[in-house]
Amino acid sequence: MSVIEIRNLTKTYGKSRGIENVSFQVEEGEIFGFIGPNGAGKSTTIRTLLSLIYPTSGSATIFGKDIIKNRTEILQDVGYLPSEVFYYDNMRVIDLLRYSASFYKKDCTAKIKELSEILELDLKRKIDDLSYGNRKKVGIVQGLLHSPKLIILDEPTGGLDPLMQAKFFDLIKAENEKGATILFSSHILSEVQNVCNRVAIIKEGKIIKVDKISTLRDSAYKRIAVEASSNIEKEYFALDGISGLELDGNKAKFLFGGNLNRIMQKLSALELINVSIQEPDLEELFMHYYK
Amino acid sequence: MGIYLFELKTIRKNTIIWAITLSALCAFFMSIYPAYASNEEAVKEMLKGYPPELLSAFALNVDTLFSVLGFYSFVFTYIIFCGAVQAGNLGIGMVSRENRAKTSDFLLTKPIQRKTVLTAKLLASLTSLVFTNIVYLIASTVFCLTITNTEFDVKALVLLSLTLFFIQLVFVSIGTLLGIVFQKVKSVVTASLCLTFAFFALSMLDSFIDKNLLKYITPFKYFNSTEIIKNLSYEPSSLLTVLAVCTVCIFASYLLYIKRDVHAV
Repeated sequence: MSVIEIRNLTKTYGKSRGIENVSFQVEEGEIFGFIGPNGAGKSTTIRTLLSLIYPTSGSATIFGKDIIKNRTEILQDVGYLPSEVFYYDNMRVIDLLRYSASFYKKDCTAKIKELSEILELDLKRKIDDLSYGNRKKVGIVQGLLHSPKLIILDEPTGGLDPLMQAKFFDLIKAENEKGATILFSSHILSEVQNVCNRVAIIKEGKIIKVDKISTLRDSAYKRIAVEASSNIEKEYFALDGISGLELDGNKAKFLFGGNLNRIMQKLSALELINVSIQEPDLEELFMHYYK
Repeated sequence: MGIYLFELKTIRKNTIIWAITLSALCAFFMSIYPAYASNEEAVKEMLKGYPPELLSAFALNVDTLFSVLGFYSFVFTYIIFCGAVQAGNLGIGMVSRENRAKTSDFLLTKPIQRKTVLTAKLLASLTSLVFTNIVYLIASTVFCLTITNTEFDVKALVLLSLTLFFIQLVFVSIGTLLGIVFQKVKSVVTASLCLTFAFFALSMLDSFIDKNLLKYITPFKYFNSTEIIKNLSYEPSSLLTVLAVCTVCIFASYLLYIKRDVHAV
């Protein structure tokens, strides 16, 4: 069963762009990445799913239920961590977490304790006195304290130091292993690459690709770097499938997609000193999609 | 229930301060009364020097000013003004507080309907006003009885004092709607003061031109204290107007609050 199913979701705001005909599914138990630069429509999609904003057209279901009609029922099992966390000042961390827990039909005390210990969050501190990173931790605990079946993360790692980021990803993976489905939006590809099973890439409000991370990486694209004994002419690599060509005298770097034999023939015709053929990382593929 | 208690806690301190302030204001005004009453002739002489339009704009009625109730209904105008500011604060702050603190994302992604959120917030404000009015009603009655040392109809006094509650209901309703329509209210107190001043100025204008044209426009004109003292009851039109304005504002607030997009900050 799809945990999230989005069908032709469109949201337009007066003059500025929102999202257009966004469709994708997130299956139960997967960690789904949602990738795009700032302003591409990631938050708009997520806020529509949470019915913070209402779609102009199209529809979506979570756990097979309509996001608008069955809103409260759905939210009972959804944990949300916004990109920027703000909470009532003049409150202790524990008070906020208890207030948050009071909305769910279960006892969250043990989970609050467990999560805050992992994240090294002091529950007795006042929220006003917390640093940005610590506020973020409050957000994480707040989003996970009711052991939600679906966790929606909107650019979650900003403000966390690398050590905390690692802890955070361990937490997310642990929740995932316990059965939680995760929708993870980010503009940082490397973090998505490491944790997600599948990704959707969004560009200017439209989904341009939904694929497995492994497929994206394997999709015949190779990052090729060569060093020849003599200068390489620019025209030499004027070949279909080559992109991002960087020439520097006798050195060349580019991304190649297509029949490998074609490029190998081309390479073998050169007097080579050095060659490397690598899997491109998502960052490069991403730039490729964004051209 | 959680939101109601949370809201109540948020506005608790303000409620207590307002209840004390309004009562203290009443004590202060009534403490002037004995001096006023004993110098009736001198004051009357002085007031003769002013144009009658001006006196009526300030709700000064020379014929009744020297009775306890007449004096009380004059000073009560200003107490109601303060009470209106309090109610406006409550209304405007109710929803815009979440926008300013950017906590809408937190609250509205909880498994709870938006109408339940608004209902809880409205009930908390209502509780605050009921508390304020109970304190004020007791305090004002006690002050009037002890300080003035003169006989008067207590029922009329209570009826007059209770109009504070009704007018506050109107202001909290208008404030709630305004707080939802203008999502980005920077300062609640400023907005509330502007709202109250605007209506107050209208009511002064109305008294000044003496045509009762704005009777249904400004809440300060919904109740006529002279009639209340005379008839010992409210005019049905007063109560109906309060009911109508509150219903329309609250209904519109629900519609807007449930339907509106909560944008990222």
